[in-house]
Amino acid sequence: MSLSPKNPRVLFLAILFLAVILPWIPLGPSTNYLLRVLTSAVLYMILALGLNIVPGFTGLLDLGYVGFYGIGAYTSGLLAIHYDLSLWVILPLAAANGALWGVLLGAPTLRLTGDYFAIVTFGFSELVVLLIRNELWLTRGPMGLPGIPPPAIFGYALTQGWQYFYLALFLLLVVLVVVVRLENSRLGRAWFAIREDETAAQCCGISLIRYKVMAFAASAAIGAMGGAFYAKWFRFIHPDMFKFWESILILCLIVFGGMGSIAGTMLGALILIPLTEVLRTALPQSMFNARYLIYGLLLVLMMRLRPEGLIPFQLSRSRKAEQAKARLLGGEE
Amino acid sequence: MKRLGFFLCFWVLLQFVGLTCPSWADSIKIPVAAPFTGPLASFGEGMKNGALLKAEEINAKGGINGQKVEIILEDELCDPKEAATVATKLAADPDISIVVGHLCSSASLASLPIYKEAKLTAISPASTNISLGKSSPYYFRNVYKDDFQGLFLAKYAKNVKGYKKVAIFYEMNDYSMGLMNAFMKQAKKNGIRILGKEAYSAETTDFKPQLTKFKMMKPDAIFIPGYAPQGTLIISQARSLGIKNVDFLGADGLDDNLMLKNPDAEGLFVTTPFIPDKAGPKAAGFIKAYREKYGIDPNWFAANTYDAVGIAAAAIAAAGQDREKVREYLVSIDTKAKAYDGVAGKTYFDKNGDCLKEAFVKEIKNGKWVGAEKQLQ
Amino acid sequence: MESLFDQSSLFLQQLVNGITLGGVYALIAVGYTMVYGVIQLINFAHGEIYMLGAFLAYTLVAVVGMPFFPAFVLTLLICAVLGVVLDFVAYRPLRKAPRLAALITAIGMSIFLQNMAMLVWGSQIKSYPRDILPPFFSESAITFGDVSLSWLQLFILAITLLSMIILHLTIHKTRIGMAMRAISQDKTASALMGIGVNRVISFTFAIGSAMGGMAGVLVGLYYNAIFPTMGYVAGIKAFAAAVLGGIGSVPGAMLGGGVLGIAEVMGAGYISSEYRDGISYAVMIAVILFKPSGLIGKQNAEKV
Repeated sequence: MSLSPKNPRVLFLAILFLAVILPWIPLGPSTNYLLRVLTSAVLYMILALGLNIVPGFTGLLDLGYVGFYGIGAYTSGLLAIHYDLSLWVILPLAAANGALWGVLLGAPTLRLTGDYFAIVTFGFSELVVLLIRNELWLTRGPMGLPGIPPPAIFGYALTQGWQYFYLALFLLLVVLVVVVRLENSRLGRAWFAIREDETAAQCCGISLIRYKVMAFAASAAIGAMGGAFYAKWFRFIHPDMFKFWESILILCLIVFGGMGSIAGTMLGALILIPLTEVLRTALPQSMFNARYLIYGLLLVLMMRLRPEGLIPFQLSRSRKAEQAKARLLGGEE
Repeated sequence: MKRLGFFLCFWVLLQFVGLTCPSWADSIKIPVAAPFTGPLASFGEGMKNGALLKAEEINAKGGINGQKVEIILEDELCDPKEAATVATKLAADPDISIVVGHLCSSASLASLPIYKEAKLTAISPASTNISLGKSSPYYFRNVYKDDFQGLFLAKYAKNVKGYKKVAIFYEMNDYSMGLMNAFMKQAKKNGIRILGKEAYSAETTDFKPQLTKFKMMKPDAIFIPGYAPQGTLIISQARSLGIKNVDFLGADGLDDNLMLKNPDAEGLFVTTPFIPDKAGPKAAGFIKAYREKYGIDPNWFAANTYDAVGIAAAAIAAAGQDREKVREYLVSIDTKAKAYDGVAGKTYFDKNGDCLKEAFVKEIKNGKWVGAEKQLQ
Repeated sequence: MESLFDQSSLFLQQLVNGITLGGVYALIAVGYTMVYGVIQLINFAHGEIYMLGAFLAYTLVAVVGMPFFPAFVLTLLICAVLGVVLDFVAYRPLRKAPRLAALITAIGMSIFLQNMAMLVWGSQIKSYPRDILPPFFSESAITFGDVSLSWLQLFILAITLLSMIILHLTIHKTRIGMAMRAISQDKTASALMGIGVNRVISFTFAIGSAMGGMAGVLVGLYYNAIFPTMGYVAGIKAFAAAVLGGIGSVPGAMLGGGVLGIAEVMGAGYISSEYRDGISYAVMIAVILFKPSGLIGKQNAEKV
């Protein structure tokens, strides 16, 4: 049973409505804690949407996403501290920086086969974090970067939990619009073609390297934007916050939710991120580390049992594409 | 598919509800935030033991104003992200008016803005990083700072041990580097030559390349401002490389029973906030009770946390469970006369929330920690 | 300043350090390279087998109380079995699936095993009991001025060399070795030739894992430290070594291991100890970008 075209819109608006009124539902004093967890989930949704472009749309395994996340966060943190720039200036700058590094890294490496590409992205992100850790003159290294000023709208500083939540939601909507647009564009279709069969795509005249680099840059830009928000939200960043594990976690989210599908990616984040917190309360003290075990197991099981994820890619194809497909097949659907 | 979707949404909602369940409050909750699992778990262990012992004793005497004290353990793995989440959780709980924690300075720094926003006071028994106290009016600590510890170490190295040439082997984290800088500053003033410094990371297990360099430098001592898990390896590998006639010097991070298991560590000197056999008369009861309950001697984490919980309890007893009033109470402990007299010395706070505490030196003799004969006054 | 004699002693000692480290990387790298050779999969969980080898030996010696050498042999056997089980449970069902799926499964297994180890043994550093090896092991066997080479280091080097020789002979002189080489060239054709592909792949995993486990025990002895996350860092470096030497080639793994070990130690000793780990990553990236076939490997044309 497939979702008819009208349903996704309505469902989406319903969820959005719920999210917007959420801070005002009287849930008692734990609201701030809940909001923080949800803000974190929304941030991961943004990040997951960014990563989704590479393995999801284009079919390449990117293991170095945390590098862009870190670049975005440190760009944001340093600009905020040294030049006192507003978040609205920082976000595009961080995104641009991310895209720049995406191109720099992508151009030489995207012609490699999938496994090698994955390893190189990993090596790159580790080097980035190592650089952040060691270049004290730039990033203060292990001392971290405290005292990042909070984001401000027209001079009014946002410091409350619900304010951050709305800010995150707003950013999510922006990213969502961008990603949905990309999915339906020529660019998106080229990416899907590459994902399905590289050789066939090449034969259709798609320049593999150009499109792959664009995918990588777009993904990096979104990751960096997420990082920029992260820095302003936490108001303190530290190299320990950008471990390889983050890349894996985000990969987990999109694998679980459905690689390539936008709704699936978001659902994956919405379920798995609060899960960590629920497990914190549910598990006894000594089994605290078992939380991560579950993610590993999840990856293995998903690949075995339901590799297309919770909301598979096909289902979230746009209306236009479905209609085009129907026309092409002459109404044989 | 639709059914699956609904089920999942419902499950998600259920999780949210579970997260927001209020908790019962007829006991006074004092949370202790520290790494209880992970590589620094042994430090967290000491903190836990000290806190639980103090709570037990308070409850045995009737609690605070009739209410029992409950220690809540929050594991933040010494990770800034976890610390921030834990801090938010604690800040959101209206029954909590003071927090004992954190341990690592990156965890403390991450939680700072959250505590500040929630006007929640935190008192750290273990975080020695220099900038914490002055970064927030809500941060206090009852342990000395690393600039003091570095100073003390350099003085001890020169005046008592007579080292003239020292090499430093530091870890690339804030604690180690802060301590190293403080030591180097004072060492220069005291006329100790720093022959060189090499770095290692928390995951390093092969220290031989750096140690080989040190061997060629021929220092009087190697200062290791790091943690015990790496410290014990460094010393063993150094000895196996043939580094003889070189002493090892460390700070509170090396003060762990793990070092005792290593016969190569014989003769290691470390600075520490607390030594059982040099502690004052007040500590005798504490040490005895600790030995009875846990079977081992208390380390400085336990002693300081014991005191920190005591200070927290005193604050609540005097000011009630109001966050602002609790903070004001701590601020008011500002002279030696008004100090909290605990097992690890007298604690009183300066305007930054830091305190002045004594440092002691202990060494490993015959496989046991003993107070060094010559302490620095 | 330091005399020429001192400088050369320093260099030689660092060389010794580097070669020993390289030997360890080589042992682990061999496992990666062999598996990649037959099924073109980067077995991310290989680092964890290495770690489990170290912990198994620890448990056998410290908890069960076995003497060292029987424990060593038993550990090798258990690791071999573990490798086969890993393949059977996680990789074999995905033999026909897209590469991305297999890679993700490998990562998932790696995380799972790492955290499982943390649960079972705790995340703190453990050491082998001090008396499991005869005491002369940690003493210097050869001392040349200021340079010392301990019996333990010699032991590690000897075992590494021996294993490599045995492995090389197996691959080139036995039937199953020939089967392995056939499968790495063309799986389908090999199956058509009557080679039991799955069995040979299991055998490959067994050998690779046994060597990885052996590396784990040796490292545990040499540095006297084991911890659940040791597989992660060592695994990456060993993989870099395998790529450096030419993935799919066993002598390549050995050469790559040696070169990487020496490069890392020299880099840490002479350039910067902070970027020590970065050296492996940089080497790996450089090799993949400029000479993906590695030092010894053959250039594989991509068949359309």
